[in-house]
Amino acid sequence: MNNYEASIGLEIHVQINTKSKLFCECPTSFGEIPNSNICVICTSQPGVLPILNKKAVEAVIKTGLALNARINKKCFFARKQYFYPDIPKNYQITQFEYPICQEGKLILITSNIQKVINITRIHLEEDAGKLIHEFGNKKLDYSLLDLNRAGIGLMEIVTEPEINSANEAATFLNQLKNIIEYLNTSECNMEEGNMRCDVNVSLRNIVDKKLGTKIEIKNMNSISGIKDAITYEINRQRYILESRRKIKQETRLWDSNRKVTRSMRDKENTLDYRYFIDPNLIPITITETLIKNLNSEIPELPILKKNRFYKEYLLNEYDINFLVSDKNIADYFEKTVFFSKNKKRATKIIANWIITDLMTKLNENKLSIKESPINCENMAKLIDLIINGDISNKIARMIFEDMYIKSSDPRNILREKKLLQISDKKCLTEICNKAIIKNSKAALEFKNGKQKAIYAIVGFVMKETKGCANPKLINSILLELLTK
Amino acid sequence: MFFYKVKELSNKILFQDISSLDIINSCIKRIKKIDSKLGAFLKLNEHKAIHDALNSNNRITNGKRLSILDGLPIAIKDNIMVKNESMTSASKYLKGYISPYDATVIKKLKKAGIILLGRTNMDEFAMGCSTETSAYQKTVNPWNIKYIPGGSSGGSAVSVSAGMVPFALGSDTGGSIRQPASFCGIVGYKPTYGLVSRYGICALASSFDQIGILAKTVEDTMLLINIIKGIDYKDPTTCDYKELNDNKHYNNKNLLKGLRIGIPKQLINYRIDNVILDSFNESIKKLELEGVKILEIDIPEYKYVPALYKVIMCAEVSANIATFDGMRYGYRAFESIDLNDEYSKTRAESLGYEVKKRILFGTYVLSKKHYNDIFLHAQKIRTLLIERLEKIYKKCDFIFSPATMQMPVKFGEHLTEDCDVFLIAANLAGLPGITIPYKFVKNLPLGVHFMGSRFSDKLLLEVANNFEKIIGFNINKFPNCT
Repeated sequence: MNNYEASIGLEIHVQINTKSKLFCECPTSFGEIPNSNICVICTSQPGVLPILNKKAVEAVIKTGLALNARINKKCFFARKQYFYPDIPKNYQITQFEYPICQEGKLILITSNIQKVINITRIHLEEDAGKLIHEFGNKKLDYSLLDLNRAGIGLMEIVTEPEINSANEAATFLNQLKNIIEYLNTSECNMEEGNMRCDVNVSLRNIVDKKLGTKIEIKNMNSISGIKDAITYEINRQRYILESRRKIKQETRLWDSNRKVTRSMRDKENTLDYRYFIDPNLIPITITETLIKNLNSEIPELPILKKNRFYKEYLLNEYDINFLVSDKNIADYFEKTVFFSKNKKRATKIIANWIITDLMTKLNENKLSIKESPINCENMAKLIDLIINGDISNKIARMIFEDMYIKSSDPRNILREKKLLQISDKKCLTEICNKAIIKNSKAALEFKNGKQKAIYAIVGFVMKETKGCANPKLINSILLELLTK
Repeated sequence: MFFYKVKELSNKILFQDISSLDIINSCIKRIKKIDSKLGAFLKLNEHKAIHDALNSNNRITNGKRLSILDGLPIAIKDNIMVKNESMTSASKYLKGYISPYDATVIKKLKKAGIILLGRTNMDEFAMGCSTETSAYQKTVNPWNIKYIPGGSSGGSAVSVSAGMVPFALGSDTGGSIRQPASFCGIVGYKPTYGLVSRYGICALASSFDQIGILAKTVEDTMLLINIIKGIDYKDPTTCDYKELNDNKHYNNKNLLKGLRIGIPKQLINYRIDNVILDSFNESIKKLELEGVKILEIDIPEYKYVPALYKVIMCAEVSANIATFDGMRYGYRAFESIDLNDEYSKTRAESLGYEVKKRILFGTYVLSKKHYNDIFLHAQKIRTLLIERLEKIYKKCDFIFSPATMQMPVKFGEHLTEDCDVFLIAANLAGLPGITIPYKFVKNLPLGVHFMGSRFSDKLLLEVANNFEKIIGFNINKFPNCT
C-alpha cells in the first residue's frame, strides 16, 4: 500500500423528513402497505404537474448552511431521463447545473487528525419506487412495483475525492449523519433506506499528481458495508496496478453476501441522461431573509457542543462523545444539570447515570431518550439525593427502577418505601454492636487479620436496615468498634 | 338553435324562453345528423348531458344559476382529463384509459354549470396540424369535406364551426387552436401562458401548451375565458393575474382610435397565398379607417421560428411522452423477452408515426453530443425572440398578421413549414393570440391574427371584439354539411 494513495469521493442520498412527498401531497411514512402512499402525480397519470414542497427546499438550504456551503439564490430543476419502471415519468426530477448548495465543507475529526473534506454540491431530487423481484427466497418470474417511496424528497450530498481511507469514509459518514440528525432534516436511518451512499474509489501512485481511474460502487446500505467495500476495492485496484495492468472505468455493485464488488456496466455503456431544465417548475428563488431565518434555526452543532462540554462540564472524552452523539441525549443531560442543586458535583454523576442506567433501560424497551419515562427534573432530584448522602447508590438504583415505571418524584418513592438513608451515628452504633455479637466468628477472624471478614458484618447491618444505612458510616463505626 | 350567440342563449335560459335541455337536445340532434360525415366527435355524452341539463333546469327555475353559462353545452378536446371519463389524446396507447381526476379547467366548467357534451378528435397527442394523425378517425372541414379542418384541435374547431356546440376547449402548443379555428371560420384564442391552468391537459410541450377557446364570436370567447382562467396551485406556471377581473371598461367605440398596431416587416419573406395577402391588406385599411396607427416592425428572429419550435417542442415531447411505457396504464405489448423489449414493443405498437418521429428528434437534440449546438442554441434564440418582442411592445400595442400563410389544403396535400409562423411565435414567447375569421374565398374561410404582450388578454379580446364588428363577418353563415 505504501506506493499508492486512495482517493475516495462519496455521493450520499439522504431522504428529507418532510411530511409529504417532494412534488405531491402523499405522505412519506415508511412501512405502509405497498402502493398506499400514491396519487395521480407520483404515478404519473397524464396531465399532472409537479407542485414543489417548499419545506424540502428549506431542509436542503439548512443542511447546506450547516456544512458552510454557498447557497445559490436562483436554482433550477432538471429532468434526468432514463427508462426504468421505478420512475413512473421515466425521468427523474433533479438538479443539474444549478444545485441549491455548492462549495461546502466538513471538518473530519479522527483521534489523531483534523482534516477538511470539501463538499462539491448538495442538490434536491425525487426518490424512485421499489422493484421487488423475489418473494421471500423465491425468485419471481415477474417483478412487483411499490411506488410508496417514489417522489419522496432526497438531498444528494457530493464530496470531492479527498477521503483517503475506509476509516475516514466511515468517520465522515458518521459525522455527517450526526449533523443531519442535529438539524433534523432527515431521520438518517440506514436500515429504512433514509441514507444511501455511492462511492467513487481511485488509486494513484503517490508520485503522480493526477487522480487514477475512478470506479463507482453502488448498492451499499450500511456504514460497515461501505467500509468493507472500500477496503475490498482498494485491494483489488492495488493488485491490478501492481501487476502492471490498467483499471478500466466502470460502475461496480457491492455484493454484501460474498463481500466483493462486481462489475455492473463499463464506461461505454454510460447512460446519456439527456438533462434539460424542467419547464413545469419555475426557478427556485432563495432570498437573503429566508437564508437568515433558516440560519437562526440551526442548533449548536456537534463540534461546538463538544468543545463547550469540555469547558463547561469537565467531562472525559468518552462521556462527551456519547452525550453529543445524539442531540436529544445532550439536551437531556444539560437540562438535568440545570435542575440539579449541586451543579458542579453533579455533572459527572449525571453523565454516568444517563450513559449507563438510563440508556440501557431505554434501549431494552426500545425507547428514545425523548420518550424517557423519567424526566430531567426527577432525574436531577435523584442525583441530588445521592450527592447529599440521603441514599446509597444501591437504594438509588431501586428508586430508579420505580421512577422508570411510575414516572414519579424520587422523594415520593422514598417516603412511600421509607428508604431514607440512616446516617444517625447513635442509631447505627447500636445496630453495629448487635451485628458484632451475632457475627462473633467473623469479628474474631477480622481481629485476627482477615480484612474481608468485615463484609459479613456489614451485610448484616444492611439487612437489618433494609439497605438504608449509610455505608461509609457503617464502615467507620465497625472499624472503631472492632479495633477497640 | 345554432344561430344564437352564447349571450343570447344564456339570456333565453335565464328568462326560461328555452331550457338547457332544449339546447342539449338540439345539439345532440345536430351532431347525430351531421357528425357521421364530419368526424368531429370521438365520444358523445348523451345521457350524462341530458341528466346535467335537467339539473341545470332545476337550478334556473329555483333561481340558483351557477354562472352566466349555466346549462350551456361545450365540447372538450380529447386530451383534457375529465374524471371517470375516457381520455385518449387520439392515441392507440390511451385507448380505454379512464381519467382518475378532473383537470382544473374541467372543475371550473362544472362549477359554472357548463355541460360537457362530448370529446373531440385531434391529432395524436396534439402532434399535427390537420387532425390526420388521430389513431381513430378522420375529421373533415365542414365548408368543404375534401379539405383538412386544420389541427391539432380540428375536432373542436369543426364542432363549433358546424353549429354542433356553441363553443369548445382546445389546446394550443404551436397554433393548435388558432389554425384550425381559422381554417374552419371561427374565433380561436390562446391565452397568455400562465393565464389558464395546464393541470389535467395531456402534455405535449410543457413550455408552450396552453388551454384555449374555440367559439363563434369574440364575445362568446370572453364569457368563457372568465370562467376558466386563474391562478392554480396545481400548476406552478400559472400567475396571479387580476386585470381580466377588473371593472375597468374600455371605451368600446374609441378603443381602436390611436391604437398602435405593428405589422411584421418579415411578411414579405414568406410565400403567402395571394387571397390571404390581399385580404390582409384590405383589413389593414379598415383598421386605419378606424384611426389605428399602423407601424412596420422588424422581428428578424421570425426567420428561426419554425426551427426553434421544432427543436424545443420535440425535446420536451421526448421527455413528456416517456411516461407512456405500458407499465402502469395504457397499451402493453403482449409478448416480450425482457424489459427493454417490452418498452420498445409497447411503444412501437401503440404510438403513431408522427409521435415517434418527434420522440426520436427530441432525443437527438438533447443527447450529450448535440445539446449545446442544437437545443441550448435554440433556447438562446428563443430568449432573443422574447426580448425582441418585449421591446416591440413598448412601441406598439398589438402585432397584426394573417392567421396562416395558406388557405386550408385538400387531404393528401401538405402545408408548408412556414404556414403557422405568426401563431407559433406566440407560443415561443408565451404571448396571447387570437385568430378572427375575416372572409370566405371560394367558400373557404381565412382569418387574421392579433398577438398581444404578456397578460394583455383583456385588451386583446376587446380589440378583437371591435375588429370583428368592423368587418361584419357573418357568424350566422353555417356550412351546408348535410
